[in-house]
Amino acid sequence: MTTAILPRTAVAARSYARGVSAGLRRELRELRRSPDRLMALVTAPLLTLVFVAIMLNNGRDDLAPYAVLAPALLVLWQMALQTSGDTVEAERENGSLEALVAAPSSFPAVIAGRILAVTAVSMLGFAESWAVAALVGVRVAIVHPGVFVGALVVTAFATACSALALAALFVRTRAARAFQNTLTYPFYILGGVMVPVEFLPDWIEPLTRLVFLSWSSDLIRQSLLPGPVQGLAEHVVAIVLLGVVSCAIGGFLIRLALREVRESGTIGHA
Amino acid sequence: MPSGEIHGLLGPNGAGKTTLCKILSTVLLPTSGRAEICGYDVVTETAAVRRLIGIVFGGERGLYTRLTARANLEFWAALYGLHGADARRRVDALLERLGLERRADERVETYSRGMKQRLHLARGLIGDPRVLILDEPTIGMDPVAAEDFRWLVTSLRSEGRTILVTTHDMSEAEAICDRVTLIDNGTILATERPSTLGTWITRYARVRASALAPEQVAPVVAAVSEISGVADVREISPGTLLVDTAADGAAPAVLRRLLELGVTDVATTRPDLAEVYLRVIGNRGMRVDR
Repeated sequence: MTTAILPRTAVAARSYARGVSAGLRRELRELRRSPDRLMALVTAPLLTLVFVAIMLNNGRDDLAPYAVLAPALLVLWQMALQTSGDTVEAERENGSLEALVAAPSSFPAVIAGRILAVTAVSMLGFAESWAVAALVGVRVAIVHPGVFVGALVVTAFATACSALALAALFVRTRAARAFQNTLTYPFYILGGVMVPVEFLPDWIEPLTRLVFLSWSSDLIRQSLLPGPVQGLAEHVVAIVLLGVVSCAIGGFLIRLALREVRESGTIGHA
Repeated sequence: MPSGEIHGLLGPNGAGKTTLCKILSTVLLPTSGRAEICGYDVVTETAAVRRLIGIVFGGERGLYTRLTARANLEFWAALYGLHGADARRRVDALLERLGLERRADERVETYSRGMKQRLHLARGLIGDPRVLILDEPTIGMDPVAAEDFRWLVTSLRSEGRTILVTTHDMSEAEAICDRVTLIDNGTILATERPSTLGTWITRYARVRASALAPEQVAPVVAAVSEISGVADVREISPGTLLVDTAADGAAPAVLRRLLELGVTDVATTRPDLAEVYLRVIGNRGMRVDR
């Protein structure tokens, strides 16, 4: 039995890796030639200027980590929602979905590769925010660099996983625009992007704990502040766990959507 | 289908040609029935089927237009398990074969429809498929590009590939196919050699006589109607007659008779696929259902 299963597993793993790699490389090439899909990165410096200006005018230099981190997290979520979320539907609209499904590599893997590429590029928002803040004289020190880098890595993972779930949701509901418009501000609030979740009403807190961004924003912020990092393991586990759950839901929904459109004959409908 | 054959799938819009292609390429699941490619079931053994086939859908959609032709093919090559030097060699060979090598590094959005269709074919060939499924590959192409494309397809047969091609164009089917199958409403009506199509086309040719004087119309209609094999004669506009034939040799006899009657503005037209369906298939009764 083991010998029968192993080669199939190996073939599937190879097919998956091939799909991720091909999707990632193609997405990076396309993003280079599609500035319209990178508009979120254009807004990051402007938002940083606004937040930093408000902070300086109110004499609240202590809020610098908040002012600089918020635009970066906004870009991260916006690109997950707008750019990554569109990946499956865009293939459908482009007429390439059928050929992708008929190819030997795993289709969800190709989508995962594309989303990884978008997520990696969206991390540039952090560099932009820090750079713009520095240009106006606000330097935000990274007090715990190890925690900071680790937090960024797990945040990127969870973002990509959430984007996979969003892409699957959008293609199943055929209502991507409606979701993209409604899932921005609620998530900025629940994710503690603009205001730390502890400042929100108590009854909202349980809800915020289901949003990986709330754990991520808290952990990244702690890495920028003096003093020990509270609940490091708890934060990392929560972020990774929420990412894994999103990934599982996304993978399941994509396979389900594919099955449905293959059965209904609507796979090529744009 | 035997291996190494070019098989045409003919049928009007909605006949089920594209649906069949999508089922064979594992893109759609059949509601009933069973199909195999090289012995592999298209529903239960999709992974094996996908490694064996290449599929080309007609039209301009399906390419990544902001990427170059080379980048498009490199992406598909990776999905078919080709990497590094192997992928580069394969991509270069296909670009050269399809005549795209000089513009391989330009964005696909700058390509003509014919070039895009050739790129589609290159994509279909990237995995070196044993079976190639072409769904209306020449749709929208100009005649010269379509002729080039047909030449390319016939050259693939010599490599031992099996090709299933759908088309609306009977002359295209005659030109490239070893056999053709006519389908309608998802049902096979007949499988014939292309020469049979030629017979149908000749048999059901239509003659158009124009510029008849008003006093000529009635005697010409009467004279032509008497010819054996003439199915219908009607005046479609003042001074213009349309003669439908339904037997071998009827069209030349109509032409001769018109000339004898002093009508010199005449032309013959080939029936389109829908007319052949209505008149040939419709008349075959039970035989076409076998």
